[in-house]
Amino acid sequence: MTVVRSGGFRRIAIGLPYLWLAVLFLVPFLIVLKLSLSQIATAIPPYTPTFDDPATWWDSLRQLTFENYAWIADDPLYLNSYLISLRIAFFSTVFTFMIGYPLAYAMARAPEGWKPFLLMLVILPFWTSFLIRVYAWIGILKPEGLLNQFLLFLCVIDQPLVITNTETAIFIGIVYSYLPFMVMPIFASLDRMDPRLLEAASDLGSPPLKSFWSITFPLSLPGVVAGCFLVFIPAVGEFVIPDLLGGSSTLMIGKTLWMEFFNNRDWPVSSAVAIILLLILVVPIVVFQRIQDREAAK
Amino acid sequence: MKAQSLGSVRKSFAPWADPAAKPFIRFEGLTKVFDGTAAIDDLNADIFHREFFALLGASGSGKSTLLRLLAGFEVPTRGRIVLDGEDMTGIPPYRRPVNMMFQSYALFPHMSVAKNIAFGLKQDGMAKSEREDRVADALKLVKLENYGRRKPHQLSGGQQQRVALARSLVKRPKVLLLDEPLGALDKKLREETQFELTDLQYELGMTFIMVTHDQEEAMTMADRIAVMGDGKILQVGTPPEIYEAPRSRFVADFIGTVNIFDGTLVARDGDRLTIETADGHPIEVDGNEERGGALQIGAKTAYAVRPEKLRISASPLDGPNVMSGEVWEIAYIGDMTSFHLKLDSERIVRVSMLNSSRESAVQMTWGERAWVSFEPNAGLVLSA
Repeated sequence: MTVVRSGGFRRIAIGLPYLWLAVLFLVPFLIVLKLSLSQIATAIPPYTPTFDDPATWWDSLRQLTFENYAWIADDPLYLNSYLISLRIAFFSTVFTFMIGYPLAYAMARAPEGWKPFLLMLVILPFWTSFLIRVYAWIGILKPEGLLNQFLLFLCVIDQPLVITNTETAIFIGIVYSYLPFMVMPIFASLDRMDPRLLEAASDLGSPPLKSFWSITFPLSLPGVVAGCFLVFIPAVGEFVIPDLLGGSSTLMIGKTLWMEFFNNRDWPVSSAVAIILLLILVVPIVVFQRIQDREAAK
Repeated sequence: MKAQSLGSVRKSFAPWADPAAKPFIRFEGLTKVFDGTAAIDDLNADIFHREFFALLGASGSGKSTLLRLLAGFEVPTRGRIVLDGEDMTGIPPYRRPVNMMFQSYALFPHMSVAKNIAFGLKQDGMAKSEREDRVADALKLVKLENYGRRKPHQLSGGQQQRVALARSLVKRPKVLLLDEPLGALDKKLREETQFELTDLQYELGMTFIMVTHDQEEAMTMADRIAVMGDGKILQVGTPPEIYEAPRSRFVADFIGTVNIFDGTLVARDGDRLTIETADGHPIEVDGNEERGGALQIGAKTAYAVRPEKLRISASPLDGPNVMSGEVWEIAYIGDMTSFHLKLDSERIVRVSMLNSSRESAVQMTWGERAWVSFEPNAGLVLSA
């Protein structure tokens, strides 16, 4: 049987997603890239050149410079910000993984009838505004907040713990907010696993704990990798959580960017900050995927 | 097929007939209840060393549950399994001297073929060099020498089946459990593999227990077959015993095709019984001590005859049991032709005829009158 398909339709079907990608990702990226190569100006919009007049495009193009990048490289404030962000994102990802994996495992091994309910519990927080949930943590963590009152009541501590406006609070906020993004892909990969594989391992002489490390964990790795990316990448650029819970002492890159953009009205420098952040995140991911593809092709 | 000595396919291998032989595996009052329903119901059976034993039954008959109980994946509700003199109660799967070949193969997708096969040996803490030798031997055994580095998904279904077999054999278990081992293969490959498996079992001298729903597969491969239904073993016997001497109506009906004439015993002359069938046909059959010997005149009984034991003819036949009717269906299969004859009483009788000459098949056609007959010893009086 031969199925005849019109080539035109196929081209449209394939082309449409690319069009979306171009409009929603490539064009905004190019705008930010161009901004990062512009110079600050006392004008509206606050940069130059603007490429308003097609007649002067060539001149405008020659005005673009890498000065903003040099500026960022010179000032250790930015480098520090990047490093702090990467460190906080890294440890947040580790903590989220350590909490998320057992959670996903328990869900995947739960009786079939419970799974939709358990999944709903994981998704439930999304029904409330993110901002409100982060605010709620201030109420819990502040010196006279719920957590301290509870611990004082139990006589575990005799002085309220200072958690708000510390890195600890940022970690708690990020781990709490991003936990579903870790749990979901891990749950999906564990749930997909054929339970016969564990029976086969057991049949071949492997006790349950050993089977976990030789069968279950390796097979859940794609979920783990996806979960870690989903937590790490947004955590690096996180702004709301460090701003509300971390106070002024912890300067993550998201906050630096915000300050450049809104406080200093320096759109070009903040754009350059964003482009560098993008490179920091994208380059390792591309390299990682290359390595994975090569492994899979073996 | 001669039915006089209903022995094993393998000549002179019949430990079950020897009262002094010690069973290798013994099921004692084994019961497994799932949600109030007994999947295995007070089952007793002995399996002998080096035997190829098939568990044959429809889905839900409990055959897979029995295999899983033996592997240790399920815990019996009551009763026990004794393997080579050792009570298996409370022994987890990973400490049992049995290995299983799974129906879905259950190959580890993230490991190469060689690693899959080495997995079990690694659990025993075998040295790497010895492990590699054993893996190479196993790959050679299943004719996949050059596939050790492949991943399971890069293999065909037949190759995956061989890897699964190699993986379950490599530890040289006391018993190999095969769960529908050939279920996923196409017909041609399945037939080839059937003979390979029996040869392999003979060479390795291992005890094989196979679960299957395919009676032909069970008959081809097994020394003995246990026909299962409702969590019980209905009959255990060699393939000829099961086919030629089914002990119950269920077994007779389950294995192969059969004509079952329900009726009433109306006369007895020694071993010769006369049964009047439900549609009023008197038939003369052989009964003996075991079958029909205890029946009283007037008792309800049934007589089972296999289609190939009936003669069919386009002209009237002489003999004790002649029936005539209209040819209702003909299926020409090649080596034989299968007829459905509709008697005047509307009853359908199945007859199969070997096409021993090239012309024999074409002599009868739809709607024509035909006669069938069978000898008094062609079938069996069924006790139930």
